[in-house]
Amino acid sequence: MSLLQIKNLNVRFGDANAVPVVDGLDLSVSEGEVLAIVGESGSGKSVTMMALMGLIDAPGRISADALTFDGHNMLKLSGRQRRRVVGKDMAMVFQDPMTALNPSYTVGFQIEEVLRQHLGLRGKAARQRALELLRKVEIPAPESRLDAYPHQLSGGMSQRVAIAMAIAGEPKLLIADEPTTALDVTIQAQIMELLLNLQKEQNMALILITHDLAVVAETARRVCVMYAGQAVEIGQVPELFDVPAHPYSEALLAAIPEHSEGAERLATLPGIVPGRYDRPQGCLLSPRCPYVQDHCRQQRPPLDPQVHSLVRCFYPLNQEVA
Amino acid sequence: MTVVLTARELTRHYEVSRGLFKGHALVRALNGVSFELEAGKTLAVVGESGCGKSTLARALTLIEEPSSGSLKIAGQEVAGANKAERKQLRKDVQMVFQSPYASLNPRQKIGDQLAEPLLINTDLSKAERREKVQAMMQQVGLRPEHYQRYPHMFSGGQRQRIALARAMMLQPKVLVADEPTSALDVSIQAQVLNLFMDLQQEFNTAYVFISHNLAVVRHVADDVLVMYLGRPAEMGPKDDIYSKPLHPYTQALLSATPTIHPDPLKPKIKIAGELPNPLDPPPGCAFHKRCPYATERCASEEPAFRPVGTRQVACHYAEQFL
Repeated sequence: MSLLQIKNLNVRFGDANAVPVVDGLDLSVSEGEVLAIVGESGSGKSVTMMALMGLIDAPGRISADALTFDGHNMLKLSGRQRRRVVGKDMAMVFQDPMTALNPSYTVGFQIEEVLRQHLGLRGKAARQRALELLRKVEIPAPESRLDAYPHQLSGGMSQRVAIAMAIAGEPKLLIADEPTTALDVTIQAQIMELLLNLQKEQNMALILITHDLAVVAETARRVCVMYAGQAVEIGQVPELFDVPAHPYSEALLAAIPEHSEGAERLATLPGIVPGRYDRPQGCLLSPRCPYVQDHCRQQRPPLDPQVHSLVRCFYPLNQEVA
Repeated sequence: MTVVLTARELTRHYEVSRGLFKGHALVRALNGVSFELEAGKTLAVVGESGCGKSTLARALTLIEEPSSGSLKIAGQEVAGANKAERKQLRKDVQMVFQSPYASLNPRQKIGDQLAEPLLINTDLSKAERREKVQAMMQQVGLRPEHYQRYPHMFSGGQRQRIALARAMMLQPKVLVADEPTSALDVSIQAQVLNLFMDLQQEFNTAYVFISHNLAVVRHVADDVLVMYLGRPAEMGPKDDIYSKPLHPYTQALLSATPTIHPDPLKPKIKIAGELPNPLDPPPGCAFHKRCPYATERCASEEPAFRPVGTRQVACHYAEQFL
């Protein structure tokens, strides 16, 4: 039984005929698993997670065949019931630590708030636990940091505090939305290591949303590549990087400077991601795909199992069995 | 080859007020940076936030006066240049900024923005200016009808093309690019990087390419300058630095950069802690508090930036890593 099950999730903004921002997404996450969701801006990766946590307000519309987390049907929960789950069993770390924390309260107060709300801890017990959490996220001199305000902390330090708040309720699922994008390289390495250590230690499932394929290669076991609201390839880590089956996965890998070492030019896909109003009739990648056939322009391919992975393409690449 | 840019011991200090009753503090944002750059070559400046990269960019583009040191652009000394000479110098150095959203005027048409450098600096007629703008637009992959459009009608990648076109309008000898692709998606980044390379070949411009992304730098650079806390840490040909970094900071930076083909046998060099407070830099080597090889000598004696083999390194023990 998987911890999180998403079946045919659609998110639209506007009326029921609006172009979906997330388009028929199927995804499941098991307990203690590390899954990465990769895609460029506008591919729907963050909206998926917001839908899951119930953070999408009107005019956003969510529909799904199933959206279950740890036995709860997230679509049917009332606001009160949802607040008991979200923030405790399912927690999130956001991209920008400077805006994720409230500037007018101390770090200690903000961590204690989570403990009060979800675990019912009060007074000394809450403070003691907050201190432990700061220690756990390896903040130097945690005693003095409890009374610090967010502006007194560096970006890396604020992200550690945000992680401490997220793990305060010992979540079963931690969603990290671009947790290191705003940070420097050496700090990024420290934060990723911390997240993975916590994941192992507490046996949490971790969903890592990122646009950085190199981060994925070093951390995740399973990857979901998204393009224009659809999952285009879901596969295991070394395979997807060695033998990508979807032309978009291949192009994304080829565009990384590291990949074309020594070459004069970087391989690129022409054009940009289709917007709301210029959706092609067939495969969403068809206007940019170097392997496009007539068939692709007419019909949308389904997400089908292939040799190494699930692929949304009529003519998947790298299908020779070694 | 002709040297178009020479910096000698370029230094920029800022006085920072610490309140009413305390004296001013001195931030050494840029501390003794020297290099030479030839036409058609690229010097990449690498480092984390607060290392002085952007201060260097501002000094090179004459936005700010250096506190001391000398700067020579196309054979002309900057210090002591009169008004007319300065005007010519400003034509020779142009800049591309990080955010293409903030660097274009939202209320001016693209065509007018591209023509403005010509209007200010040349005696061309309106028709001639228009012709030149159209030619440049074609070169950077914009269509003629884009002339009449406003910045909000373009995507991030297209805006960065416009910013680059504007910088190249006067065919500068030196182009300073401050993190030009860090706000872009990978596949768009690849397109823009290719454009940078094409224009460099076409106009034989020298680039100072500032970035924190070591994979991008490896693709574009000829020489690399690594900076830490306002000081140069290591400078040399790209291949030497990437194959055998000598400064412990360069080693850590390269090791911390995630790669798409991680080698599980190669242990990551971890550096603890964060950048020291620039108001109160540690004595001796600026890096010694985070350096895994630091000795007592590092804590007391500041290492000179000295030649070691093909490059220059600011480390007492650089030879041991050769």
